[in-house]
Amino acid sequence: MMVFKREWKRAQKALWIWTLALGGMTFLIMSVYPQFAENKEQLQELMKLYPEAMLKAFNIDQLGFDSALGFYAIEGYLFVTLFGSIYAAMLAGGMLVKEESDRTIEFLLSKPISRVQVVVQKAAAVALVLVVFNTVLSVINYLGFQVAGDDHIDMVTFTLISLAPLLLHLTFAALAFGLSAFFRKQRLVTSISLAIVLFSYFVSIVASISDKLSKLKWITPFEYVNSAYIIEQASIKPVYLIIMIMIMVISVTAAIMKYMKKDLVI
Amino acid sequence: MNAIELNHLTKRYGKARGIEDVTFQVAQGEIFGFIGPNGAGKSTTIRTLLNFLYPTSGTAKILGKDVVTEAKNLRQHIGYLPSEVHYYDDMKVSELFRFSAGFYPGDSSKHALELAERLQLDTSRKIEDLSFGNKKKVGIIQALMHEPQILILDEPTAGLDPLMQSIFFELLRELQQKGTTIFFSSHYLSEVQKLCNRVAIIKDGRMIKIENMEDLHAKKFKKVHLHFQNKWDQKIRLEGVLQENVTDNSYEFIYNGHTRNLLEQLVNIQFDDVTIEEPSLEEIFMHYYEKEAGENDGL
Repeated sequence: MMVFKREWKRAQKALWIWTLALGGMTFLIMSVYPQFAENKEQLQELMKLYPEAMLKAFNIDQLGFDSALGFYAIEGYLFVTLFGSIYAAMLAGGMLVKEESDRTIEFLLSKPISRVQVVVQKAAAVALVLVVFNTVLSVINYLGFQVAGDDHIDMVTFTLISLAPLLLHLTFAALAFGLSAFFRKQRLVTSISLAIVLFSYFVSIVASISDKLSKLKWITPFEYVNSAYIIEQASIKPVYLIIMIMIMVISVTAAIMKYMKKDLVI
Repeated sequence: MNAIELNHLTKRYGKARGIEDVTFQVAQGEIFGFIGPNGAGKSTTIRTLLNFLYPTSGTAKILGKDVVTEAKNLRQHIGYLPSEVHYYDDMKVSELFRFSAGFYPGDSSKHALELAERLQLDTSRKIEDLSFGNKKKVGIIQALMHEPQILILDEPTAGLDPLMQSIFFELLRELQQKGTTIFFSSHYLSEVQKLCNRVAIIKDGRMIKIENMEDLHAKKFKKVHLHFQNKWDQKIRLEGVLQENVTDNSYEFIYNGHTRNLLEQLVNIQFDDVTIEEPSLEEIFMHYYEKEAGENDGL
């Protein structure tokens, strides 16, 4: 458990910076909701002036600003999913490869620990960090909703809208984690991981704007946790859930397989 | 049972030179020197023994166990000091020892503190603030702290001052008396001479020779540089000269033989200045071993 403990401890600082930054942001957004709600009609008039593509891109067409949940799904959810994914990818992408690029792997692997244990403990540390990250963010969100003063929040929907970002973060983290087993330089892994997140986000925007390109939604994890779908249907599409779980399983398995056979110091 | 056993171990990778068909055994309780110039394959061999690298072919065993299939179990019994020590920069020395101790049964961090005292290392400092020599001490301590049966040290003395080096050698001798097998690499012949029972010599990824130190002691080498103020006659022939380099006002050579004989011969030469020093291992390789290897090939 030494590696797990070490990674958990090492992740603390970044974890709380990201949590406070994102939590603070969503809390701030939710605290302006009452003012929005007061001027609902004017806002809807205003929305009509926006190009349709933009309304689609941000799910405004489906959700509208008329409930706190909808308001959150349009404004706050974006921060949590996009920036949270960036954090998750950076966290997980560095996990394995940093031991090699910092050349500490020679120290670590001279201890009685197997390579599989190293990978599994590091993956577990990433998972725990992301669970804590999302749990704390959800608590802050919940407080934000209280401030927003919406009389009642559907707890099922709220749970789903809190769970979905966790799944998304875990998906991107798993991809970055798997990737990092194949490289030796941390900087490269971080760049590629970030590119994957940003590209996925871009694809999800394109897929929601253009009907022609809507098939692209299958390749972007952002679509798997589409807030409009979750709020309207009060569920996460099972097929997307399965895809995300498969990405996680395959990525971590690939990381283990590769790491077991890798020449670690050259 | 041999403590360490390599059978036709070969590791090739990319453009970097690996090792080719390396075979030797280290007996239990032996101090075994592994010497060769930079890039000869010393670290590659050691890293393959520790299973950081997978062998291309051949096998290696430590304490009778295969280094690949039983890597994890073996590490319990091995203390390893890498040639370049890199640790987690954010840790203090004492934190690193605690972290290290956590992998082994019992509490070895106490022993680490004793060793730190002996090597005069301040454990309250951050690792990233330490000098190269002090980082090396951290490396030595984390390799010794769990009292392993086998010590594998990759250029352990680089960066240590002479005082520390002698404390370190004292430690190694004590460990040998307790039965620890010590395998260490170096490119300084003088280091090896003081400490080892046997040495293996590696060059360009291949084993050249394994020698008992007693045999090697009989072969003493000196690097001699004679300086002449004026042009000299260049007709001196000395006994035991292996390789010479003659210019108008200097004569440089590697001498092999008894030092007293060297001095007796030098008395007759009208030089203006002389330096006599230990040759680097490379210099001996270049001339002595290379020649010998050639002869063995029937050239």
